[in-house]
Amino acid sequence: MEQTSLSAASWFWLLVPMLTVVLLSIITFFVETKREEE
Amino acid sequence: MNPATLTTFIFYLAALIGFGILFYQYTNTLSDYILGGRKLGSGVAALSAGASDMSGWLLLGLPGAVYAAGLNQIWLAIGLSVGAYLNWQFVARKLRKYTEVAQDSITLPDYFEYRFQDKSRMLRVISALVILIFFAVYTASGLVAGATLFESAFDLNRQIALWTGTIIIVAYTFLGGFLAVSWTDFFQGILMFLALIAAPVMIIVTYMSWDEIIATTSSMDPAYVDVFSGMTTIGILSLLAWGLGYFGQPHILSRFMAIKSEKHVPKAKMIAMIWMVFALYGAVFVGFTGIAFFAESPLPAGDQEIVFLELTQVLFNPWIAGIILAAILSAVMSTVDSQLLVCSSAIAEDFYKAFLKPKAPEKELVWVGRFAVIGVAIVALILAYNPDNLVLDLVAYAWAGFGASFGPVVILSLFWKQMTRNGALAGMITGAATVLIWENLGLILPGVEHEIISLYSIIPGFILSTLAIYIASRFDESPTDAVLAQHDRV
Repeated sequence: MEQTSLSAASWFWLLVPMLTVVLLSIITFFVETKREEE
Repeated sequence: MNPATLTTFIFYLAALIGFGILFYQYTNTLSDYILGGRKLGSGVAALSAGASDMSGWLLLGLPGAVYAAGLNQIWLAIGLSVGAYLNWQFVARKLRKYTEVAQDSITLPDYFEYRFQDKSRMLRVISALVILIFFAVYTASGLVAGATLFESAFDLNRQIALWTGTIIIVAYTFLGGFLAVSWTDFFQGILMFLALIAAPVMIIVTYMSWDEIIATTSSMDPAYVDVFSGMTTIGILSLLAWGLGYFGQPHILSRFMAIKSEKHVPKAKMIAMIWMVFALYGAVFVGFTGIAFFAESPLPAGDQEIVFLELTQVLFNPWIAGIILAAILSAVMSTVDSQLLVCSSAIAEDFYKAFLKPKAPEKELVWVGRFAVIGVAIVALILAYNPDNLVLDLVAYAWAGFGASFGPVVILSLFWKQMTRNGALAGMITGAATVLIWENLGLILPGVEHEIISLYSIIPGFILSTLAIYIASRFDESPTDAVLAQHDRV
């Protein structure tokens, strides 16, 4: 049968780990910059 | 080759030389030449670390692997992203500060010697030799990749391609040192990023929708769209473990040491991670969309690595194609130039200044560094002349070798006050030996066919190196008061 979408597990591993890393780097940037200013 | 593509490309090469000439005047001391006088801003540090890390693998190897096997290659991208993030988060800031406190160390061997106040100088000699040997080979394999690209893009004779690429890289590295290398890497990083994002977006916008791409690829082979297809637990662990390599790569750690101040690290980390993650996504989707795009006439096995180049020629007009060709060559050059410079720093700082002429004037050291660039380039060129040279196989061990031998030493030296010089030495030797032995287990233990042998050597190397550091430091005499006091200042 022809598949027109990726499985939920594939979407999860494709997106979640790497985007989490980006998100963490953005959050820690704001946290560390704020700490630096205080 | 189309004249428009050629013109864009020549303009790009001329700009690289321009950078060398521009930064020549800012290079007055050895610290300027090999570390840019520690003046890198966040953006340049971030992108130059990324560009010098990724090499041609990002634009050729990864898209080619995804084109051949499908989305299961994402595990490697996940491993690298997490590893790079942890390196920025935990190592960058501390290493920047420690290298300044430890007698303003400007190379990794410098740092090892001053961190442990190693009077025997063995840490410096061993680490500098390892760097020289592996990076000379690394540089050679980069030159081979660059030459192959020149050869296929311009129909140039291979020897001419090799010489042209080498002369251009050596020219701007020789003249402008670290600043030229970092700034060219910065622009090369931007070029690589845009090119990788543009190609898959162009396919989805102009040629086929995302659903059509999934439908086409899955009808060719459902394994293409499954991240677990053909993967075992050991296989996934091995791909994820590539991320451990970051902690020990001298050309990436030197960017941390060169950043303007530790306050610039958080911003650099954010830029670096956004660049890296989206560039990796770009590379994965170039390969993946390529499967559907070339469904009618798939690329032969030998050409899968140039799927990006093939797509570029169909998707873009010749001017843009020239820029993208430049981006691909950039990926190769931005790694070769950084490795060349790290070799030069090992010769100028770790051998010439440390052993031959400790009181040499800065101008002289800069020129030693410059001629070291030429010397290493000649050795690399000789190695690269024969692409079947078996020495080039060493590259396969280089990432794991640096990761396992330097990685645990770097991390523990920053965070564990009681670590000793003998601990560092034991960790370095154990890490390197484990990688070399593990990579050759098939030869050492013929007939043994357990799956564990296929585990990437960096995992046992990293674990055993860490254990060796811990055990040797525990059984060693406690570090001197001077070493402990220095650690407290960081």
